[in-house]
Amino acid sequence: MAVLMALPIGMVVWFSLQNNVITNASPQFVGLEHYLEIFADAQFHAALKNTAVFVLASVAAHLVIGLAFAMLLNTRLLPHWVKTIFRTIFVLPWLLTVAIVAVLWRLILNPNGVFNYLLVSTGLIDAPREWLADPNLALFAVVLINIWCGYPFFMISLLAGLQGISADLYEAASVDGAGPIRAFFSITIPQLRPIIISMTLLDLIWTSHQFTLIWMTTGGGPLDRTELLSTYTYKLAFSQYMFSAASASAVVVLVISAVLAFAYVRHQRARD
Amino acid sequence: MNSAVRHDRWRKQTHVMVAALGVVALAAGCGSGGGSEEGGDVTIEFMQWWEPELPDGEFAALIEQFEEENPGIDVELLSGPYASIKDQVIAGSASGTMPDVLGLDGAWVHDFATQGSIADLSAAMSDAGYDDSQLAAQVQVDGATRMIPVVNFAYPMFVNNSLLEQAGVEVPTTWSEFQSAAQAVVDSGSGASGFVAALGLEKPNGINIDILPWTWASGGTMLSEDGGPAVNNEDVTATIEFIKEMWDAGVIAPGGLTMAEQDKVEEFTNERVAMMVSSLAHINLIRENNPELDFSVVPLPVQDGYTGESGVRYASWGIGMSANTEHPEESWKLIEFLMSEGANGQLSALANGFPGNANVTPDFTESDPLFEDAFNIWQAGYPVSEFTGLPLADELMRVFDEELQQVLAEDKPIDEALGNIQTEWEGSF
Amino acid sequence: MTTTTVTRTSAAVEQSRPRRQLSTAGRRRIAVALTLAGLIVGALFAGAPVLWMVFSSLKANPEIFAYPPQLITENSSLAPYLAILNDSRQLRFFLNSYVVSLAVAGLTLLVAVHAAYAFSRYDFPGKSIINIAVISVQAVPPITLLIPYFGLVVALGLYNTYPGLILTYMVFTLPYAIIMMTGYFNTLPRELDEAARVDGTSSFGALWRILIPIAIPGMVSVGMYTFMIAWNEYLFALTLTRTDDMRTVPIGIQLLMGQHSYDWNQMMAMSVLGSLPVILLFIFFQRYFIGGMTSGSVKN
Repeated sequence: MAVLMALPIGMVVWFSLQNNVITNASPQFVGLEHYLEIFADAQFHAALKNTAVFVLASVAAHLVIGLAFAMLLNTRLLPHWVKTIFRTIFVLPWLLTVAIVAVLWRLILNPNGVFNYLLVSTGLIDAPREWLADPNLALFAVVLINIWCGYPFFMISLLAGLQGISADLYEAASVDGAGPIRAFFSITIPQLRPIIISMTLLDLIWTSHQFTLIWMTTGGGPLDRTELLSTYTYKLAFSQYMFSAASASAVVVLVISAVLAFAYVRHQRARD
Repeated sequence: MNSAVRHDRWRKQTHVMVAALGVVALAAGCGSGGGSEEGGDVTIEFMQWWEPELPDGEFAALIEQFEEENPGIDVELLSGPYASIKDQVIAGSASGTMPDVLGLDGAWVHDFATQGSIADLSAAMSDAGYDDSQLAAQVQVDGATRMIPVVNFAYPMFVNNSLLEQAGVEVPTTWSEFQSAAQAVVDSGSGASGFVAALGLEKPNGINIDILPWTWASGGTMLSEDGGPAVNNEDVTATIEFIKEMWDAGVIAPGGLTMAEQDKVEEFTNERVAMMVSSLAHINLIRENNPELDFSVVPLPVQDGYTGESGVRYASWGIGMSANTEHPEESWKLIEFLMSEGANGQLSALANGFPGNANVTPDFTESDPLFEDAFNIWQAGYPVSEFTGLPLADELMRVFDEELQQVLAEDKPIDEALGNIQTEWEGSF
Repeated sequence: MTTTTVTRTSAAVEQSRPRRQLSTAGRRRIAVALTLAGLIVGALFAGAPVLWMVFSSLKANPEIFAYPPQLITENSSLAPYLAILNDSRQLRFFLNSYVVSLAVAGLTLLVAVHAAYAFSRYDFPGKSIINIAVISVQAVPPITLLIPYFGLVVALGLYNTYPGLILTYMVFTLPYAIIMMTGYFNTLPRELDEAARVDGTSSFGALWRILIPIAIPGMVSVGMYTFMIAWNEYLFALTLTRTDDMRTVPIGIQLLMGQHSYDWNQMMAMSVLGSLPVILLFIFFQRYFIGGMTSGSVKN
């Protein structure tokens, strides 16, 4: 398993240090040339910036929405069957293949689609918008879609975490006179902390990989407004056949993630 | 203490072992996964996206016919989604698992040829003593044939007759007529747009389908005499100015910057655009989805004052052979079969395209009358497919598309944009 | 003087008591209403697009693009579903998806539980490095791993086999599963299994008899997630398989996206059909979330 994990990554790093691998029969070692190349590329900068916005907005929303829904579903105020129904509805976006999510949202957000229709007929906007094709709205639109299909993962994990918190803790707090808000910050959040931290880390990494969704809704456009590192890397590899540069771009992502991972592990150790 | 530590280590090891066990169990199961070869017969693999595009079972039936005529050769059809075939071939070529015969798009040929993935068909043809005069076209890279077009699809203009009538305009034949017709459609209050261009970047072929055909129809080109890029010439500049004027006038359908070819056709089918440039392959689809729709196929309007012949843009389902196939003879037999008069005529009729075998006359008795109109347009003009066989053709279109998006959405000066494209293209050629 | 004060106080108490009772009942009612309102808004956000998909899957293809959009159209029917259920090739895609996804979920859990136990309960040299490696492994965009991976799978003779796909997916799911299970085990107090081990139970026994039953909600959520990763993955599924008898549902959906047009309704129908068993599975596993509530109270 370790070989399966490590070997391809080693190959990617090795590719990134050579001149055009795969398309070239006898590649040469060129050192860091490809890294300098992509660092100088304006499109790489745009991709880096968009990725940061896309990832941070998505992950923050996943966490907030996931936690909010998990808290709502964890309520003792409603009968069991009601919660079962809602739990099932809330998890639905997760069950769809990304390709279908992309196609579905393209239909919904189409200038003649149902979303515009509802907004126009309720008077919220006066003319249909091109949600995915308008350079000013596109990034927002793909973030929205990504939030929609990504939050259930947080919700489920947090829900599982909430089940593990002892009711005694809340009772003790309420005897001490703590209200629900204080209980939330002094019991719920600290108890969920390990899960929240692990998941935020994973989601940061995963969201930065999100490729299919972007590719199938906007292809990185319009202009370069939704170009992420993933689509940038794909274009390098499969449109320009610059596998070495693509590998270099992948290694950049790897390094950023490794830094995150390092912070996470240090945190774990400090906690022990 | 000491024993506790040792104990711990032992436990740790057992956990590691259990973790490893699952993997070992998996690996053990792998041996059974091998394929089974039939005795004596040669099996060749044919990867293409055609089977899912054709009516159910028809392509398999054609291949069966080949197998009957050629005992000892089995063909395994590997059908993939069109959008991923190219990536699959690249990945397959990198790991030496290419299929023997593969469907090709003209835009990929140069890249696959220079990567050494696809074989030189000129050599295969002379080895087999094949008379290539019956082939309507061959796509060559550096003087050697790498792809043979099997079925060709012309791209005329589709017009919605009732929307034009409602707007009180005739079918346009020049650019200025087209612009005023498009404007009239928008003004008529039907809610429809005049024209649609699918410029999404996922597959930037809108450049090849919706934009440059305007240049080619007026006798223009995007290439220099010696085949180099000349994208900032007058022909292309005039086209982009023409498109930009319509964009600014708001007669082009919204959403175009992320639209795909498939979306564009839905817009037309649902009467939300009056005119589009599109593949003949769409006639049956439109008929099926909206039997009421009154539409025709007409020649693409030309630049005012142009009187010469019109270039008609076409696309092909091409075929090629893997460079490292173990069965080149059998593979060639399959290609030869698909190019033969009988099979080629049948296949092009099924696909609603024009045959790649020059001796086949398309039979229109059973097809939609629009095909005959299209065939007349096809014959009156000359076929153009300038991106076919160019290096990094997909990337060339992408560069063009990205600059065009800036021209349309951000008013980037056309000269500057075309200048950028020219510089980028020069780097690729 | 004193008497009056007393009476006053008791009167005040008597007055305020029913009012306070009313206000707790009222507050409870408001809380229920707010929770319900929150749930309904959330359900709209989560469910409306899915509902739209279900209705679209019943429409005839051109009606999907009709404007103004309608929920139910005159040609709505089950035809797209029948078209898929009558196609043995598509059914095979479903079978493949289930085999692969269930195997991935099961094996990932089995391996991850032990690895996570080791991470959570023991300290060993190189733990941090292994940890960082495990996390970083998934940091490489999968798209760039495609070609090296493809080569590796071909070299191992696993091209176009179930084990090829299963192993590949485990590479992607294991790090997640290990990290999450470590997180869950960390939330469980060490005293639980240490107490068991003092009683002479082996570490295996402690894991299987004490920790795993408590960690079931976590395992279910990890299991669900790994299942969904395997279920939804497209790129590797396409590249590492070649023939229809090994391909999975996402490829089947993609095959309906043609060069020139999409079979919109069948794509959606296929996706609905694919989700149904997973929803049932989820409803079934929900009880473990509730089960976790009681076992969770064991701690502290």
